[in-house]
Amino acid sequence: MPIQSYFQERWGQAMKRKIRLTVNNETYDLEVENRRTLLEVIREDLHLLGTKQMCNMGECGSCTVLMDGQAVNSCITLAVEAHGKKIETIEGVARDGKLDPIQEAFVAKGAVQCGYCSPGMIMTAKDLLAKNPQPTEKEVKTAIAGNLCRCTGYVRIVDAILTAADTMKE
Amino acid sequence: MKEFELHEPVSIEDASRLLAKFGGRGRILAGGTDLLLELKRGQLNLAAVISLKEIKGLNKIRFTRKEGLRIGAMVTWSQLLESKPVSRNYPLLAKAAEKMGSMQIRNVATLAGNLAHASPAANGPIPLLVYEATCVIQGPNGRRVIPVEKIFGGVQKNTLRRSEILTEILVPLPPAGTRGTYYKFGLRQAMDLAVVGVGTLVKTKNGVFDEVRIALGAVAPKPFRVKKAERLLKGKKIEDRLIRDAGETAVIESAPITDIRASMEYRIELIKELIYRAINESLP
Repeated sequence: MPIQSYFQERWGQAMKRKIRLTVNNETYDLEVENRRTLLEVIREDLHLLGTKQMCNMGECGSCTVLMDGQAVNSCITLAVEAHGKKIETIEGVARDGKLDPIQEAFVAKGAVQCGYCSPGMIMTAKDLLAKNPQPTEKEVKTAIAGNLCRCTGYVRIVDAILTAADTMKE
Repeated sequence: MKEFELHEPVSIEDASRLLAKFGGRGRILAGGTDLLLELKRGQLNLAAVISLKEIKGLNKIRFTRKEGLRIGAMVTWSQLLESKPVSRNYPLLAKAAEKMGSMQIRNVATLAGNLAHASPAANGPIPLLVYEATCVIQGPNGRRVIPVEKIFGGVQKNTLRRSEILTEILVPLPPAGTRGTYYKFGLRQAMDLAVVGVGTLVKTKNGVFDEVRIALGAVAPKPFRVKKAERLLKGKKIEDRLIRDAGETAVIESAPITDIRASMEYRIELIKELIYRAINESLP
């Protein structure tokens, strides 16, 4: 019989596993198939819809989340890879209803138009500013190279990130 | 994606045994930025994904002045960028890391995976070729060490045998007094494959080329050292006409193609011009 159904019959369980995901400081115990991506699980199982699915191949950055502080494309990350890691999505950025300085700057500088790229941009900005609190304009542009925006032309996004860096300096 | 088993062996030996067990239907997972794309496109019919993440020590960069750099299979491009030994001693590798994908990709993609995926346009091999790096490969028959160019077998084909794993990349210190350049010529400033990739490492002595190493990528099925062009320059007086000739000679050793990014004719012109510029930039 075909090898896939052989495994399924004998070891159907081998195709999935129980994982513990920590997302925005909340823990979730899930059983997921190995083949599911972190993006799918975040959106479909955890119903956190702020993280977007667009290109689904690690090019556009709209699926960007932080995994142990590092910006990653969740569409090309297996959910099982996130077991035991600290995941942060856009939903976790504001604290107690108060916007994060990066979010404030995006609003103040008009860096949000349709808003589709914004969660990814903000998560990427968080990684950048954590590693490099005073980036140059060039460094900001390099950091967001993996996040596509079809509306703003990027100028205000770069401006917002630089403004946030200045705000966070104080 | 089709279903697959996931295994997380704790040793290279176990990983190797799993590769043997699953035959051609098991694949190694390092950063996954290439593997996940292949899985999503339905290009692979895998029974198992074998992750390296639980194997201790693979995510380390070690450096001594005597041995040079030892880069484990799970070391990411971001780690290379943040490494002081790399930025201080291997600027071409640091530059290749800068030009790799996006921040999100660099945070998980590995240098070892870049080599094993064997794209002709890969960033990784260019600095590694001019630094004369070697690859440590472990498998059921033990350990072997090969020059980095030997890991490339053809377009997206590596020379690893069944159940072998690339575990480490060794990069000796470049000879004292050498200067080098790395160019990744592409259509965009980021998130793009090289149309032509060039790496050079040059040492001069009294107006004469003493050591010359030139590597080319994206102009043949495999990245390679441009030996004829190197021989043309070595031991000769530094002259503009000679450096131009080196660029022309490099074209003979290349086999550029026309593809979606550039025509063969354009690549030929790029080879000539970029080698000329790269050698010039490597002069004191």
